[in-house]
Amino acid sequence: MSAKWYLGTGAQNDVVVSTSVHIARNCAAYPFPGRLSLPDKLKVNDVVRAAVESIPDYSFRFSEMKTLSQAQVVSLAERHLVSPEFASSRDGRALLMTEDESVSIMLNEADHIRLQVMLPGFAPDEAYRTADTIDDLLSEKLEFAFDERLGYLSQDPTALGTGMKVSVVLHLPALVRTSQINSLITMVSRLGLSMRGSYGEGADAKGDMFRLSNTITLGISEHTAVENLKSITLQLAARERAAREEIFKSIATEDAIFRAYGVLKYARQMTTDEFMDLISLVRLGAVRGLIALDCATVEDLMVQMQPATISLSVDRPLDRAERDKLRAERVRQALL
Amino acid sequence: MLCQNCGKNDATVHLKRIVNGSAAEVHLCADCAYSLGYGDAFSGFGFGTGGLFADLFLKGENAAQLRCPGCGKTLDEVISGGLLGCAECYNTFYDKLVPTLRRLHGKSVHVGKRPNHPRGDRAAQLRRELDEAVARQDFELAARLRDEIGELTANGGDGQ
Ligand SMILES: [Zn+2]
Ligand SMILES: [Zn+2]
Repeated sequence: MSAKWYLGTGAQNDVVVSTSVHIARNCAAYPFPGRLSLPDKLKVNDVVRAAVESIPDYSFRFSEMKTLSQAQVVSLAERHLVSPEFASSRDGRALLMTEDESVSIMLNEADHIRLQVMLPGFAPDEAYRTADTIDDLLSEKLEFAFDERLGYLSQDPTALGTGMKVSVVLHLPALVRTSQINSLITMVSRLGLSMRGSYGEGADAKGDMFRLSNTITLGISEHTAVENLKSITLQLAARERAAREEIFKSIATEDAIFRAYGVLKYARQMTTDEFMDLISLVRLGAVRGLIALDCATVEDLMVQMQPATISLSVDRPLDRAERDKLRAERVRQALL
Repeated sequence: MLCQNCGKNDATVHLKRIVNGSAAEVHLCADCAYSLGYGDAFSGFGFGTGGLFADLFLKGENAAQLRCPGCGKTLDEVISGGLLGCAECYNTFYDKLVPTLRRLHGKSVHVGKRPNHPRGDRAAQLRRELDEAVARQDFELAARLRDEIGELTANGGDGQ
């Protein structure tokens, strides 16, 4: 198996886990997916696939979603390679993905083309550059639905304009523990961004992982959207670091980290929720230098221990109890 | 159906989420959808908020039977479903959409990148702007546009 994108580590890695850029595009010659017959969806898949496969320097694997099992599709969603919506209905949909999973393209989700570039750490410029280049190459082959006034057209008016979303996943355990997170979520929403749990919702975000993204796409350039996100990210990261200084003044924080580490190393069964709570503390200890563990191992575990993904790693269906037992086993092995 | 977050308002936003190894649906009211960060097309990984746009749509239009010649969708269907059918819908319903787009994005004019398809209508657009400039007797702009069109059509492709 080749190295996946999340096995790298990036800048600002103590707080910023990963960066992604999404671009939505539609072919001018066809109605949007909501209005597209199944045979026409398959035609769009063929046309876009040919254009994508002509891109130099990248090699994409094509999969029709209906050829994948439910667990395979849900696992793709757990790894944030496809949207939950995409996973929920598979007819006429297809996925193009590079071997390292850093570039993935959903076909016939809410748009004909949903391109995603995902990189470890804080890399908005680099992720945008890659997405922009691929978009340019595709637009030489495909005529996109575009309007001078409204920009790139989509069936969903909330994506008009650039059709571009840039986001970072942030690890914010100290802002959660000092109860600052909800007011920050409100603050960023006033700035045209949104912040929500990357796994789970709102203040119940599992693993203290949050996804920060731009919400506005019309009347704002790609460059401005990227710069805004960068500046808010750096401000949130600075606040998180200050909050970490606060919570580490008490021995209780270090104690909680080592207790979590102990449970992860020795438990015999573990739910996803418990795992996410504990690994968050261990990640905090690792970036603090308390525990000798690199972030790439933590990020890899977070992905691999999700329910459908862990079920896929064995060749038979698992019930919940078996999954919890296997999860504890895998975590023990990884932390030995 | 009531909103799963506040339990008070009617749920109008229906989203797919991954919960315990399968795709589950989450039902929220528009307010909660916004406060939980779902107020955009790309939420979650995310993508796809059926219905949120419908809530924002200015009601009381009496042009509901207006129909898109491209895909046959009516303004009524656009308002109730929150989704447009094809590129031509945006031409057909443009005037009706602009106020809603302003509420949604704060602005209604695109300022980002543009496609570079060889058959893309950059030159055609410039010609339209040129016509308008000439009609307004803005000859300075017209001269600039004429130069730009000349460059476009000289450099590779025929600009059409
Ligand atoms: Zn609600
Ligand atoms: Zn239409």
